[in-house]
Amino acid sequence: MAFNVLVVDDSAVMRAMIVRTLKMSGVPIASIHEAANGEEGLHKLNDEWIDLLLLDVNMPVMNGQEMLQRIRDDERTRDLAVIIVSTEGSETRLAALQALGAAIVHKPFPPETLRDTILRVTGVTDVEYYGSFAATGDSLDF
Amino acid sequence: MSNTMVHLLQQATASTFEELAFLFLETECTEEQAEAPLDAIVTVNFHGPARGRLTLSASSALLPAIAANMLGEEQSRFVPLQRDALGEMANVVCGNLLPLAAGAEAVFRLDAPQWMTDADAVTRTGDASVASVIFGVEDGRVAAQLYVFEGHDALVGTVSEGAAA
Repeated sequence: MAFNVLVVDDSAVMRAMIVRTLKMSGVPIASIHEAANGEEGLHKLNDEWIDLLLLDVNMPVMNGQEMLQRIRDDERTRDLAVIIVSTEGSETRLAALQALGAAIVHKPFPPETLRDTILRVTGVTDVEYYGSFAATGDSLDF
Repeated sequence: MSNTMVHLLQQATASTFEELAFLFLETECTEEQAEAPLDAIVTVNFHGPARGRLTLSASSALLPAIAANMLGEEQSRFVPLQRDALGEMANVVCGNLLPLAAGAEAVFRLDAPQWMTDADAVTRTGDASVASVIFGVEDGRVAAQLYVFEGHDALVGTVSEGAAA
């Protein structure tokens, strides 16, 4: 199975870094979509079939926590695999996000952490790792 | 200025540059670094138990290297992306600093990073910072300043050791 992925982050740089990591990860990708806030993200979810959502928390217009709540309230998307990729350090907020069924990756993150989290939440096991990506400790921390 | 807050700001800034942009900051500037202008400035306003602003300044000559290390050489040529890269650095510094200073239970909201012109910077940074750090890196400098406008009690080190410019 190849995944349709949606990356929601208000930083174009962070979206580019996440997309770059996704492409290097060995995770089978069918398509990658991007949105700059939760509202745009919900529109993308209406327009496209998405298997995996990578979501920031602090964003203008609609933040990640509100977007995640709306996703869980909608029967069409309530089972969507979601990974929060954020600097969020509040245990209170992280617990609320985890209670909504999201996995958490803290910025800055090594690519291996994002890849391993994707594999865990999607259940993919037959990934061909990208070159030295998984073989050495000389990792690129994002 | 609080030694505790200075230490936390130093830690958050150095680790963010190291992990996000693979740049190792030095607490002592060389003569060349000390003369480099801090002419690229972004701010992140935060709200919650305390309200304030994190300002991150860098020598503009460093921006291509920061962007290249984050995005790869090809995309790093675009000036808007270079600015966005510094903004993301400020966002991560702020996001990592606040839990260190306010505890893991505190919930903050961070505004989107804002690019500032020099004129804006003079006006908006007329407030007294509670912590300020400066580093040398490659051929330039990086500086971070924390301003707290409300809720000093919520942040460790901003009250007991005094909050002064």
